[in-house]
Amino acid sequence: MAGMRKKLGAVVIGLATMSLTLTACGGGGSDSSGGGGGSDGDAIDTSTATGEVNYWLWDSNQLPAYQKCADAFHTANPNVTVKISQFAWDDYWNKLTNGFVAGDAPDVFTDHLSKFGEFANQDQLVDLDPTLAKDGINVNQYQPGLADLWKSQDGKRYGLPKDFDTIGLFYNKKYVDDAGIKESDLANLAWNPQDGGTYEKVIAHLTMDTSGRRGDEPGFDKSKVKVYGLGLDGNSGGPNGQTQWSMYTGSTSPAWTATDKNPWGTHYNFDQPQFQTTITWFKSLIDKGYMPSVAAVTGQTESTIFGAGKYAMVTNGSWSTNALFDTKGIETGLAPTPIGPSGKRSSMYNGLADSIWIGSKNKPAAAKWVEYLASPDCQNIVGDAAIVFPAIPSATDKAIAAWKAKGIDVTPFTNQVTDKTTFLFPITDHASEIYNLMLPALDNVLSGKADVSSLTEVNNQINQLFQ
Amino acid sequence: MSAATADVATGTNASGAGATQGAGRRPRRSDLGVALLFILPALFGFVVFYLYPTFRGIYFSLTRYNVLGKPHFIGFGNYTKLFADPLFWNAMKVTVEYVVLNIVFQTILAVAIGVLMQRLTKSTAVRAVILLPFLISNVIAALLWFLMLDFQVGIINEMLAGLGLDRVTFFGGDATAIPTIAAVNVWRHMGYTALLVFAGLQTIPDYVYEAAAVDGSTEWRSFWRITLPLLRPILALVLVITVTGSFQIFDTVSVTTRGGPGSATRVIQYYIIQKGFQEGQFGYASAVSMILFIILAIIAVVQLRLLRAGESDLS
Amino acid sequence: MATIATPASPTQTSLAAQTAEGTRGRKPINPGRVVAWACLVVIMLVTLFPFYWMLRTSLSTSTSLFLHPGDLGPVDATLGAYKRVLGLATTAEAQAQGGSGASVNFLLYLRNSVIFAVVATAGQVFFSALAAYAFARLRWPGRDLVFFVFLTALMVPQIFTALPNFILIKNLGLLGTFPGLIAPYFFMTPFAIFFLRQFFLGISREIEEAAKLDGAGHLRLFFGIVLPMSAAPITTLAILTLINMWNEYLWPLLVGTNDDSRVLTVALGVFKQQTPNTGPDWAGLMAAVLIAALPLLIVFLLFAKRVVNSIGFSGVK
Repeated sequence: MAGMRKKLGAVVIGLATMSLTLTACGGGGSDSSGGGGGSDGDAIDTSTATGEVNYWLWDSNQLPAYQKCADAFHTANPNVTVKISQFAWDDYWNKLTNGFVAGDAPDVFTDHLSKFGEFANQDQLVDLDPTLAKDGINVNQYQPGLADLWKSQDGKRYGLPKDFDTIGLFYNKKYVDDAGIKESDLANLAWNPQDGGTYEKVIAHLTMDTSGRRGDEPGFDKSKVKVYGLGLDGNSGGPNGQTQWSMYTGSTSPAWTATDKNPWGTHYNFDQPQFQTTITWFKSLIDKGYMPSVAAVTGQTESTIFGAGKYAMVTNGSWSTNALFDTKGIETGLAPTPIGPSGKRSSMYNGLADSIWIGSKNKPAAAKWVEYLASPDCQNIVGDAAIVFPAIPSATDKAIAAWKAKGIDVTPFTNQVTDKTTFLFPITDHASEIYNLMLPALDNVLSGKADVSSLTEVNNQINQLFQ
Repeated sequence: MSAATADVATGTNASGAGATQGAGRRPRRSDLGVALLFILPALFGFVVFYLYPTFRGIYFSLTRYNVLGKPHFIGFGNYTKLFADPLFWNAMKVTVEYVVLNIVFQTILAVAIGVLMQRLTKSTAVRAVILLPFLISNVIAALLWFLMLDFQVGIINEMLAGLGLDRVTFFGGDATAIPTIAAVNVWRHMGYTALLVFAGLQTIPDYVYEAAAVDGSTEWRSFWRITLPLLRPILALVLVITVTGSFQIFDTVSVTTRGGPGSATRVIQYYIIQKGFQEGQFGYASAVSMILFIILAIIAVVQLRLLRAGESDLS
Repeated sequence: MATIATPASPTQTSLAAQTAEGTRGRKPINPGRVVAWACLVVIMLVTLFPFYWMLRTSLSTSTSLFLHPGDLGPVDATLGAYKRVLGLATTAEAQAQGGSGASVNFLLYLRNSVIFAVVATAGQVFFSALAAYAFARLRWPGRDLVFFVFLTALMVPQIFTALPNFILIKNLGLLGTFPGLIAPYFFMTPFAIFFLRQFFLGISREIEEAAKLDGAGHLRLFFGIVLPMSAAPITTLAILTLINMWNEYLWPLLVGTNDDSRVLTVALGVFKQQTPNTGPDWAGLMAAVLIAALPLLIVFLLFAKRVVNSIGFSGVK
């Protein structure tokens, strides 16, 4: 689930969004939605909920937990049955938008920040506020900031938060021990764009070539690296760099933000010096042989290579926790992202929600189920499963405890929220166009084909999209 | 097939034309009724699934047509935009690079394998092995080689490292990505092409070589002066099959590099999908596919001449 | 691959020529011939090794696969991948071995692929044969013009027609059904018509004349004489079409939207993304790939001679 969050930009890759177009090609845009009603401002009467609700999600790892929720929901509301279907990421969006066209989309589905704006523009989603107000649901019960992410530009609420994620620094315990670095030191690393600070020192020391020389030792051969001090996740990260560089650009001084405001900004800031110097430093890690090149990681999943013992540390999202800790033959540790020139750490902050399809033929039961999904009852069940961080703070605590029981301390993720060192994923229009402009441009910068100043021109192109 | 296309072009079809005149017993009449019956299903399929969508596509290319609305006619706006679009030109460049690499290597290898098989063995087993990769889909072939060629954990790079050589960034390198993708597709198709060549070689009578040998020609010269020229029709056919297909390279890119790194593998069809289906600029994407259509049509015309030229060699 | 392929080609060509000399001279052992054999063996190894790697990976455990990327045998050998793919493993078992735990049922997709490929092939070959006959042996106004228009369809990129076709199928309410999946392939492809027309052109006129003397109409002529006579090219075309249909990807991806109409190629793509956090479940994927390839491999083994010869045939004709 969240797993795919890091792909935010990549979201639209492949044929997934083909169907977005198809929706429009249907001739009538959204008027094909079969079900009735749902006109603006109408509250749904959840007291009459009965019958079957179709619910879709994309993460198979979460299926068992949500099945438990569905069972508990059915016990509490015997008249309503929830039928859950799970589809893999690309397939999921493909089917969903096809469903909008063909009139058989699910009543309720897990929604993504990069998608809901478009769906809302196409009038495919139900505005939840009237119903929530009528049923007295408190939209402020979630971790700060999460609920408002789901308000569209028109001010309507199209989703109720279910979970959130942040970024952390995973490391290979054996490599850290072998290098004579204390795990506690990793919790207090600091980076800066000039010399990389203690963070880069550790990365350099953890890097090792095939003849056993470390990255900070004389004679280190950067063309024959056996273990990279820091991994690189698949590509340059495009316009958000969620798992690649967002934790650095989020802690610069003066503070840098990707857009003029968030959500729904209309001006990008890839031309600002603090961004470009940070990228220059980031690239220098590749040039020094401490981090693999874009070419070396094309198409890879970072956790795969971490599992193969080729990386000493990786920056990745909380959604990857189980994947990185469960790798056979590798003992994994978790530290917070490094402190930056701003004097603080930083992490991108992102979350999922559940939305109701406007064409649902059973809106009362659908609304009832969404309210249940966003309630402590369900989120506690999800928290106990230790797969994601539920959006309600008390349920988040349950997840922390459940992970602790497995021997994993996940507070480096949650502290970012409590310490208010997070910033929200940038949500704007033209997301896929911006991704398709920025990804190749940044790839080229990191591989030395273009100077970092070329991003200024790309930034101009991006900002022209908003004119 | 080569003959068929040539017929159309020249209009002189020995068996067909001769036949109708030869059947002089009955008065000449048209078989229109029965012909309609025979052709009706295919005509239906052609009109519904080829002709109509083609005209619709042409219309779309003259519209602004995005995810949220209906098509708005804008004349040739997409085309003027396209000619000023560096990404479009890059896509053309990358695609042509792929097509050339793919065809050159596939043809050379196929001729080599075909000649080797003809000279060494008539074994069906050997030919079956050579054909094996053709049985799996492009998607599978791409995934498999992607696994094997990974920079850090692929077996090929493990072998290179084991031999003390530098690892190669096959799919990830700017300079290596397109050749790698071409190589994967050559791997899948070379057996099929080699069998075509092999079949073509079977049709060259031995006396041609014997006569050459009498004239004192070496084998090497015979290959260049006899085998290759006589293979021309079959090589022309190979070109027909591969050129149109190679220009539409998509699935291999889609499951491996997704256009990257940078824009190194953003081939034309991938760019179309990206513009039309990801960014919702369907009118623009249709214009780009129109250009692809035109290129393929030009190539087809050139090929027609090539095929006709190839006809007379083996008579 | 590239490194092997590139330098090898010119050498092979010249060697082949030398070898040819050896063959003709009937010398028992010839160094050129040995080298030529060596080249052929190398090519066969390059062809076969990836298939071995598929098998090796499918018998490995996904979670530890990349700890030993250079092992030539399976890593932590297990049949777990096959169990996962066939839906025989529990969610917990599957996830412990690096699978997604999501329900997959490749036997169902296998059935769908068989239905799709066989029905599409049968319809396409039959209707194309009818049309090819009309183009080759019947006399009617506008024949060559219509044929030429059909010919131009070869140049239309698939992407160009995919979307309008999708909308058509959607409007007919056939999304996610076999009729919707099969329809665009069922009535004709330009290639099939050219291929068969070419063969029909070559059928001797005398046979036809003799049949006509007996009073046979075109229908009887076609079904009674032309079709049986053309068994070889029709089989060839059918086999080639079957391979192509079996490997079709874009259209089934668009139209085969539910489990009951999803074919193997699409299912493989979906399977690959089921475990986004850990990277693909390579062992499971390769097991699935082998299962997907199995029917074609069996058909191939049964008809190896015919397939191999038919491809030569398709070229020469």
